[in-house]
Amino acid sequence: VTTQLHGSFRGCAVRDFSFVAQKPGCRNLRIDTEACWGRCHTWEPLPEPPYVQRHHRVCSYGRTRYLMVRLPGCQPHVSPLYPYPLALQCHCTVCSTQDTECETF
Amino acid sequence: WPVGNNNSLLHPFNVTIRSDRRGTCKGTHVVYACVGYCESSAFPSRYSVLVASNFTHNITSASRCCTISKDAKIKVRLDCPRARHHDDIEILTARACHCDMCRKSRY
Repeated sequence: VTTQLHGSFRGCAVRDFSFVAQKPGCRNLRIDTEACWGRCHTWEPLPEPPYVQRHHRVCSYGRTRYLMVRLPGCQPHVSPLYPYPLALQCHCTVCSTQDTECETF
Repeated sequence: WPVGNNNSLLHPFNVTIRSDRRGTCKGTHVVYACVGYCESSAFPSRYSVLVASNFTHNITSASRCCTISKDAKIKVRLDCPRARHHDDIEILTARACHCDMCRKSRY
């Protein structure tokens, strides 16, 4: 859900994202894709009983397409294929350690 | 509630505590929760993450969540009309909030 842009943005949306694909034995390659960014509604009611359910949802991929790029200058024994995700849709959800590296800071 | 630079703010709500299912003694008090909109993002994982996860963690999520940074104890009076007395019980309430670590157990 998108309500406003920039500083006061609330929600979770697809956003342009660039990164450098790095793999030992190959040359680096800059990749432009789409990822997720936003501000999800989170709350923490009471740290002790009587507990009320905490709600810590984060902006992550809803629908995803996986793409494969061929890295340049790879050594003969190194596969040049490099997989990466493209976000088709993003939403506020629980961070699943099944398929996601969940980092918080 | 207003959301400015600090996106994690105190929000009041009523808590009702009952001594048992029948509500022999009960009391209601306003306590504060932390509620807000903190920044989070998800993007393709670095190659080191892909290798470490055996290519299962293709996505990395970097997030902050609205959490309690300061709390305080308050007394809630439980009235027991039939027994003609009252009990006090202490519970915690939020006093300050910030965007900080999302807690996995609290997702």
